[in-house]
Amino acid sequence: MDTLLNVAHGFGVALAPINLLYCFIGVFIGTLVGVLPGIGPISAMSLLLPVTLSGTPESGIIMMAGIYYGSMYGGSTTSILVNIPGEAASVVTCLDGHQMAKQGRAGPALGISAFGSFIAGTFALVALMLVAPKLASVAIAFGPAEYFSLMVLGLVVLTFLTQGSMAKALLMACIGVVLGLIGLDSITAQPRLTFGRMELIDGIGLVPVVMGLFGVAEVLLNTEQVIKRDIINAKITHLLPSREDWKASAGPMGRGTILGFFLGILPGGGAVVASFASYALEKRLSKTPQRFGNGAIEGVAGPEAANNAAAGGAFIPLMTLGIPPNVVMALLLGAFVIHGLQPGPLMITQNPGLFWGIIASMYIGNLMLLVLNLPMIGMWVQLLKLPYNILFPLIILFTIIGVYCSSNNVFDVYVMIAFGVIGYFMRKLGYEPAPLVLAFVLGPMMENNLRKSLILSQGDLSTFVTRPISAVCLAFAVVLLVAPLLPALRRKREMVALDEGA
Amino acid sequence: MSDQPSVRFKLNNSELWGGLIGLALGIFVIRSGLKLKLGTIHDPGSGFVLFYTGILMCVFAAAIIVASLTEGGPTFGTRWKDARWTKPVIVIVCLTVFAVALEWAGFLLSSITLVLLLMRLIDPVRWPLAVPISILVPTGMWWLLKHGLGILLPSGIFGIG
Repeated sequence: MDTLLNVAHGFGVALAPINLLYCFIGVFIGTLVGVLPGIGPISAMSLLLPVTLSGTPESGIIMMAGIYYGSMYGGSTTSILVNIPGEAASVVTCLDGHQMAKQGRAGPALGISAFGSFIAGTFALVALMLVAPKLASVAIAFGPAEYFSLMVLGLVVLTFLTQGSMAKALLMACIGVVLGLIGLDSITAQPRLTFGRMELIDGIGLVPVVMGLFGVAEVLLNTEQVIKRDIINAKITHLLPSREDWKASAGPMGRGTILGFFLGILPGGGAVVASFASYALEKRLSKTPQRFGNGAIEGVAGPEAANNAAAGGAFIPLMTLGIPPNVVMALLLGAFVIHGLQPGPLMITQNPGLFWGIIASMYIGNLMLLVLNLPMIGMWVQLLKLPYNILFPLIILFTIIGVYCSSNNVFDVYVMIAFGVIGYFMRKLGYEPAPLVLAFVLGPMMENNLRKSLILSQGDLSTFVTRPISAVCLAFAVVLLVAPLLPALRRKREMVALDEGA
Repeated sequence: MSDQPSVRFKLNNSELWGGLIGLALGIFVIRSGLKLKLGTIHDPGSGFVLFYTGILMCVFAAAIIVASLTEGGPTFGTRWKDARWTKPVIVIVCLTVFAVALEWAGFLLSSITLVLLLMRLIDPVRWPLAVPISILVPTGMWWLLKHGLGILLPSGIFGIG
């Protein structure tokens, strides 16, 4: 009963005209960046992070969340029609989605992708609504040792799942921690790594770092190659899947939803891993696995449901524990912090309007996305024809404006350009930026919790292994760190490892 | 990565240089941690986490160096093989010039020049299209920020903006 009252309260917040507008802007931009290859949800969210300052916290967070789950919908359109994933979670949709389009079945592929996304997104919201308050009540009992170990686990999972060498990913995570510690020490107020520059006293901003590493670096990488697009030009018809299509897709959609939701909750996991795991599962369960890669609708329905369910599930650790499980959620945490809010176990009780308002807005956003992605599909197809030589200079301009507006400080523009160049060379040399960004956000929190635990336990390191939750997290982290040393597990890691930042 | 030619004991092994840079950064972080004071395990100081993170950085960088020497790694040349490497260089140069000029020339002049240069230099956009876009978009954004959101952008020595 309480839950229903809370949901009603949430709808009261989400249905306020200004919040509806922000929700629409969020899902519209999300679909837009999902559709356009080369710009992911991370770049778009970092670009719009300063815009959230102009409204209430509810409006800002509703818009940012809309961009994230909107991009999951939009990404599939590009995968199906152009065979280029709009964002990383839609890579797997290319395999069967584009084949379906080539066979003249672009309509059902787009339709099942949108309906699958809607159903999974809605399920994830119901689950989020039921699980989050319960988990939050448990999380109140968490001490600094548990928080520290959970963050260590999150970072290790992300480095485990990052493409390429794990040593490189761990090095990136360490650099992220160091960058996060620049500025005044929160306990002793001593300046650290500021090199005497006043601009660094408050530390480096999240916005310039993320925009540089993901926005500018992405443009630099894209300018290196001539991007060819094989757009399906035939008129898209029959967006509503047939009875056979629904029959074939129901199982994959259900399994993808549940798998995606749980993978989304795990620290370091997320939509990318969920979509690949769902595809692998469906192929393994299929009586005719040879159809996969040749236009099997199950290969579209499962992964699309999984990545949307994961996008919903990822809100749980952020909202209940205050720990972002991936880079996108780290940006959302940044949006909360900008408004002076700290997500965590107390947020649901202290800020019910915000928490339930965000959840209710996601229901509304999912409905908006269904309308945006089915009847208006023609508009997105036209957008795919926008030339990159016009788009890239404008993206650079928007990142500069976005960074400047976030702090009214030219120094941040320099920081963004520097991180853009660093990010470009990092990517060229096989160093992924995702662990760096997550560690950058988690670094100060990790340090704080580590020092608090050591002070509280009077220097007794066993506090991390005698407390059960902390011990389990650390044990799991150790297993993941050791796993790549074993050839069989290393092969499995290489199969699931992905570029989260794309 | 596997399709790229791999070299072991060569100075142009990109993996080796990546590891060496990581090692240098790790040593720097350790030194910074020591300078800031480690404190004790009962009461960790400002440099405590930096110091141990630096040690971890050195360990991971050493692992990368060892792997580059035993398993080899792609050269810098192969990393940029078939890539139009001049294009990112042009963008980087344009951005650097923009960063230098921003406070001096102001937002409007420097951003109009930046967008125009990028449009002409990456994959040339026709002049009749490039000129209006590079003038209208930055000017429109400036107007929106100034009059819509009340955000003032640098106006430079000419006071434009």
